[in-house]
Amino acid sequence: MIFETSKRVPQTAPWPRWRRTWLGAVVAGLAVLTGPWAAAAERPRVVATTTVVADLVRQVAGDRVAVDPLMGPGIDPHGYKATPRDADRLARADLVVASGLRLEGKLGELLGRLGTRGRVLAVAETLPTDRLIEVAPGLYDPHVWFDARLWSLCPPAVAEALGAIDPAAAVAHRTRAAALVERLERLDDEVRGRLASIPAERRVLVTAHDAFRYFGRAYGIEVVGVQGTSTESEAGLADINRLVDLIVARGLPAVFVETSVADRNVQALQEGARARGQPVALGGRLHSDSLGGPGSGAETLEEALRSNVETIFAGLTGGR
Amino acid sequence: MSQPAGIPYNTLVVAAAVAAVGFAAGVIGSFGVLRRRALVSDAAAHATLAGVVAAFLATGRRDLPTLLAGAFAAAVLALGGLVVIRRFTRTRDDAATAIVLGVSFGLGIALLAGISARGIPGAGGLEHFLLGHTAALTAGDATALAAAAALAVLIVWLGLKEATLVAFDPAFAAATGWPVALIDYALVTLMAAMVVVGLPAAGAVLVTALVVIPPVTARLWTERVATMVPLAGAIGLVAAVGGVATSNAVPRLPTGPTIVLVAAGVFSLSFFVAPRRGWFARRRAAVDAARALAERLRAAAAGEQTAPDPRGA
Amino acid sequence: MSAAAPALELHDVTVAYGRRPVLWNVDLSVDAPGLFGIIGPNGAGKSTLLKAALGLVPLAGGTVRFFGRPLAEVRGRIGYVPQRETVDWDFPVSVLDVVLMGTYGGLGWFRRPGAAQREAARAALDRVGLADLAGRQIGRLSGGQQQRVFLARALVQAADLYLLDEPLAGVDARSQDRIFRVLDELRSEGRLVVVVHHDLRTAAEWFDGVALVDMRLVAAGPVAAVLTPENLHRTYAGHLDVLDELGRAVERGGRTS
Repeated sequence: MIFETSKRVPQTAPWPRWRRTWLGAVVAGLAVLTGPWAAAAERPRVVATTTVVADLVRQVAGDRVAVDPLMGPGIDPHGYKATPRDADRLARADLVVASGLRLEGKLGELLGRLGTRGRVLAVAETLPTDRLIEVAPGLYDPHVWFDARLWSLCPPAVAEALGAIDPAAAVAHRTRAAALVERLERLDDEVRGRLASIPAERRVLVTAHDAFRYFGRAYGIEVVGVQGTSTESEAGLADINRLVDLIVARGLPAVFVETSVADRNVQALQEGARARGQPVALGGRLHSDSLGGPGSGAETLEEALRSNVETIFAGLTGGR
Repeated sequence: MSQPAGIPYNTLVVAAAVAAVGFAAGVIGSFGVLRRRALVSDAAAHATLAGVVAAFLATGRRDLPTLLAGAFAAAVLALGGLVVIRRFTRTRDDAATAIVLGVSFGLGIALLAGISARGIPGAGGLEHFLLGHTAALTAGDATALAAAAALAVLIVWLGLKEATLVAFDPAFAAATGWPVALIDYALVTLMAAMVVVGLPAAGAVLVTALVVIPPVTARLWTERVATMVPLAGAIGLVAAVGGVATSNAVPRLPTGPTIVLVAAGVFSLSFFVAPRRGWFARRRAAVDAARALAERLRAAAAGEQTAPDPRGA
Repeated sequence: MSAAAPALELHDVTVAYGRRPVLWNVDLSVDAPGLFGIIGPNGAGKSTLLKAALGLVPLAGGTVRFFGRPLAEVRGRIGYVPQRETVDWDFPVSVLDVVLMGTYGGLGWFRRPGAAQREAARAALDRVGLADLAGRQIGRLSGGQQQRVFLARALVQAADLYLLDEPLAGVDARSQDRIFRVLDELRSEGRLVVVVHHDLRTAAEWFDGVALVDMRLVAAGPVAAVLTPENLHRTYAGHLDVLDELGRAVERGGRTS
């Protein structure tokens, strides 16, 4: 795994003392200079890579930490390239929370190097490997968050890591994490019930890339992506043709696009199916690797999951 | 809609599009190669990436015609920059080309990275213009590409005489009253258009191969421009369709690089077996020449032996 | 009216490449018919003079007239043979294709050469002795044959004034004879042939008139009047490599005068 350092999370930070003092001096200096923002500077700074992880940290920590999300809404984490400013933000953070399992393709190496100095928590890598989907030997599907029950295993690890950098708030973090776990478990039941009402033969989710395998496994939906697990790999013509065959054979009424992934493949699918007398609708946009922005109604993971479920339900039951 | 049994609809669409693009690339590339402007097309090709991203940023749309219009504008701009650098700084051709290629490609990559870092939503998929992405072509895309390719081929066919003259002997062309610079610009603009049309098939990095390999291969087989141009088109077409067929047969095999590899295969084969210019033919000619020389020497030696040496007396 | 005007007239022509002047204030007037040589050392600007006359390099100053008119009005009456090295002889065209290029100016945009043009091209090839090589790729010719192809292309132009740039450079004896025979015919048909030439020895025998050029016009006129020891010294001063040749030429010039 790339994020080997995640195993060291509970230990104390391996930062040299002189560096902490130096950093402290800088922070103090900045605090004096910036005045009103001094309060913000006193809170621990946590950099979260994706919107999904940022939400997780916010849910656990509330406003006790300053969460600095690296990627905004609608950004594809597989292809994300860090800027020097990002590297700086990562280096200065008290804690970096990543998704892990190679989701942040190009960022992974940087995080790995960083891990030797600061703390990095790769939340998905704290999950037991027997609950993960292995796509190749030693390589796991990183899109774990839309299985609400699986994701509910993550908050305690986050609470623990946050407690290590701010022991005074450790108890509060643990309490909030426990509440989140409970909410996720309830959500899991709710989602399962809703999707079970879709006729069994139509429970097929065709999307631009394979971001919904855990979702599919958890809720009994067959998931087929045009593009493979990572958006970095290219869809070949054979993949398109295979999917058109599937759509026609199963009489699927809708295919779905994702907010952070190109939809050209899906358009080609629709056209291919239409040419074979199977009009297939665009079922709407699913949130996959990125949550929605402010006002989208999918700002948190819980909202995004509910929104996805409603989109899928409407697409696969409506139409005819 | 009807279709031949066994060939999936999407394969037909993609094959039709790349066949048109491959043919036009070979035809127009012929003059790029003959006028020694192959690298210029590479500079234009690398500039297209910045144009694609800029078009997306300016319009917020990512349909193919919009993005390709941006790519074409960028390619023309890059070529204009090339002309300016050459004329006003007295930089040599290869250096000027390298400058334009590097700078424009760097700009494209920076814009692409900037988009993903700044968090501009909906930008996913633009990076496909780097290496090409044929699989997702729709019938509308295919029609637009085929129309552009047909127009480019028509223009070249009309101006075949003029283009050949300027490519072969620009000084004579100018002396006999032809606007050489204008014809040159027209050719280079066509090359830029071709590079843009080939972009969805092979991407900014590989499209030059589509413009250069078929003409060079065709040149191995013929000594006449009038044969070379359609032959290059045919080779481009075969490579394009062959690449698509291969990619269709093997899952997860990207189309663009496959097309280029098929073209390279045709070239390698031609390099060996082409008449006259092929490796075997040249070798045979060399052996024949050596044998003829040996024969002559032997005859001369024999003549010397039989005839009494007059100087010996 | 144009009969009275000289076939080629340069007035105060100055040419510069960048900031470096290569020709200064050249005044030259040549009448048809005749064989006229432009002679001078390497780098003297002989080829530049032809190119400037044809508008291939920009004039920094001065005017050029053909038959009393500007170039654009009489382009059809002017034939041009560029230096052989300026083109890629590996280019995929046949001998006949190249000769046909001489007809393009008359055809105009987008029209293809037809039977009449082909006929003219074959006749021109016959005139330079290459009729049986019409279908051959131009790279498979000797240097002298290639030069004759260029001459045939100019002949197809059916011009009244021919400008030839070093047509005898690297040419075998047989081609040289053939080329001069054709040029001689052109003169006897009443045309003017201007030849950039580098060989002083042959210049005196072949040309009616010559111009000695060394960045400036040193002298121009009938051979006997121009190729004097004094003019040759002025032209070739500083060109040590030709002193030997110069010595012989002066000796011969002294004998003939």
